[in-house]
Amino acid sequence: MILTKNLTKIYSNGVVALDHISLTIKKGEFAFLVGPSGAGKTTFLNLLIRRELPTSGLLAVNQKNLATLRKSEVPLHRRSIGGVFQDYKLLPQKTVYENISFALEVIETRPKEIKERVFSVLELVCLLNKANVFPSELSGGEQQRVSLARAIVNRPLLLLADEPTGNLDPDTSWGIMDLLKEINKRGTTVVMATHNREIVDQLRKRVIALEHGKLVRDAPKGGYTLET
Amino acid sequence: MKLRTFPYFLREAFRSLFRNSLISLASIAIITIALLLFGLFFLFIANLQHLGKLAWDQVEIRVFLEQEYHTPQIVGQQLAALPGVKSVKFIPKEEGVVFLEQILGEKNLFSAEENPLPDCYRLSLTEAAEPAEIARRAAALSGVEEVVYGQAFTRFLQLVLRLGLVVGVVLLCLTVLAVLYLVINTIQLTVFARRQEIEIMKLVGATNAFVRWPFLLEGLMLGLGGAVLASVLLTKGYNILLQQLSSYSRFIPLLSGIGINRTLILALTAMGLCFGGLGSLFSVKRYL
Repeated sequence: MILTKNLTKIYSNGVVALDHISLTIKKGEFAFLVGPSGAGKTTFLNLLIRRELPTSGLLAVNQKNLATLRKSEVPLHRRSIGGVFQDYKLLPQKTVYENISFALEVIETRPKEIKERVFSVLELVCLLNKANVFPSELSGGEQQRVSLARAIVNRPLLLLADEPTGNLDPDTSWGIMDLLKEINKRGTTVVMATHNREIVDQLRKRVIALEHGKLVRDAPKGGYTLET
Repeated sequence: MKLRTFPYFLREAFRSLFRNSLISLASIAIITIALLLFGLFFLFIANLQHLGKLAWDQVEIRVFLEQEYHTPQIVGQQLAALPGVKSVKFIPKEEGVVFLEQILGEKNLFSAEENPLPDCYRLSLTEAAEPAEIARRAAALSGVEEVVYGQAFTRFLQLVLRLGLVVGVVLLCLTVLAVLYLVINTIQLTVFARRQEIEIMKLVGATNAFVRWPFLLEGLMLGLGGAVLASVLLTKGYNILLQQLSSYSRFIPLLSGIGINRTLILALTAMGLCFGGLGSLFSVKRYL
C-alpha cells in the first residue's frame, strides 16, 4: 500500500523534516505514527496526500510513485485517500449532509448514489439525526465524526488521520477510535499520527516512531514509548 | 467533467451567494459603484461627442460665383464631387437678395436688373472633412469668385473635437481599467473568505476545473447583479435629467432615446459579466 525508500524532505529554509525513511505499510494495516512535535509526522502525511513533494528517495502509494505523479493525476490519487484532521476542516457554511456529500459531488457521483452513501456513513458515525445541522451547532466529537464520515464516504483504500483526537476528551476520543477500528476492519488501511499515549498503549497496533525526521522505531504491536 | 454536474455548480453558486449574503451584497454594491463611474463617464463623453457633432453640422462653406458666369450647375457638380462635401445647395442671387432684405429689415433693396449679388453655393461637410482644403480646391474652380467660411471657428472646433475624442477615449479606457481593478479586488475578497473551501475541495480530490466552475458562476452573477443595478440607476437617472432639461433642450440638445440606453446597458452588462468572470478566475487561480 505504502512504500518508502530513503524518503527525505528538506524544506527551503533548510529544515530536515524527514531523513532517509524506509518502510512499508501493507494493505489493511493500522499504523500509529508517533513522536514529539516537529518529528515529521504531519510532513509524512502531507507527502502521502501529495500536498508536498519529497526532496529525494522513493514514495509510492498504491504502486504509484508520488514524486513522478503528474499534476493532472493528483486529484485521482487523492480520491483513493481519506483525510481526518485535528481541526476537522469542515465547511461552516454547509450542513453536515452537504459537508459529506461534497466529497462525492467532487468525484461526480450520481445524485441517487450520493444520498444513499451519505446516509449510510451518517448511520455508521451515529449522526443521522444531525444531517441538516451546521458544524457550529455540533460538539467537537460530533464534528470529528462528520470529518470521519466525509473521509470514508468515497470508500478510500487509505485513511490518513492527523491527530484526530487532539481536541477531544478521553471518552469522545475512544468513540472516534472505535470508528477508526471499524473502518480498518472493513479493509481500509489506516495511518494515524497521534500524541495520545493511552490510545496507542491500549490498542497495541503497529507503531512507527519518528524523531527529528528519523525513523527511530517500527514495532508491530508496540506502545507509545519503547518498553524494556 | 460531466454535463450532469452543471446543475450542481449552479446550485453551489446560488447557495454561496445567499449564505455569504453580506459579502455578496457588499460585492454587488462595489461593482455597481464601479460601473456607475464608467456609465457616467460614458454618458458624459457620448454627449460631448454628440454636441460637437451638432456644432460641426452647422459649419458650412459659401462659394460665390462670378457675376457673368452662366453655367452654375457645372460648378455645383464639381463642388459636390470634392471629398468631404456632404451636400451642396444652390442659392441664386434672387434668393440672396431676399435673405439680405430679411437681415437688414428693408424691402426692395435692388431691382432684378440692378442686383449686384452673385449666385452662391452652400456646402455642408462630412465629419472627416478638411474645410481649408475644400475651400482651396473650390476657389481654384473656374467660375468661382470667392470662398468664405469661418476659418478661425472651424479650426478651433476641429481641434476641440479631435482633442475631445482622444481625451474621451483615454479617459474611458482608464475608467475601464479602474472598474476592472475594483471588480477583481472585490471578487478576490469573496474568494479569500472561502480559501479553506478550495483547500478542502482539493484535498478530497476535486480537479482544478471542478473548483473553478462554481466560483466562475458566482463571479458572473455578482458582475451581472452590479451591471443590472448600475444600468437601472443610470438609465433612470439620465431620463430624469433629460426631463428636467427638456425646457432647455434647444440650447442643450443631449442624446436621448432608446439608442443611448441600449448601448449603455450592453456595455455595462458586458463589463459586469467579463470582469466578474475574470475576477473569479484570477482569484481562484491563486489558491489552486
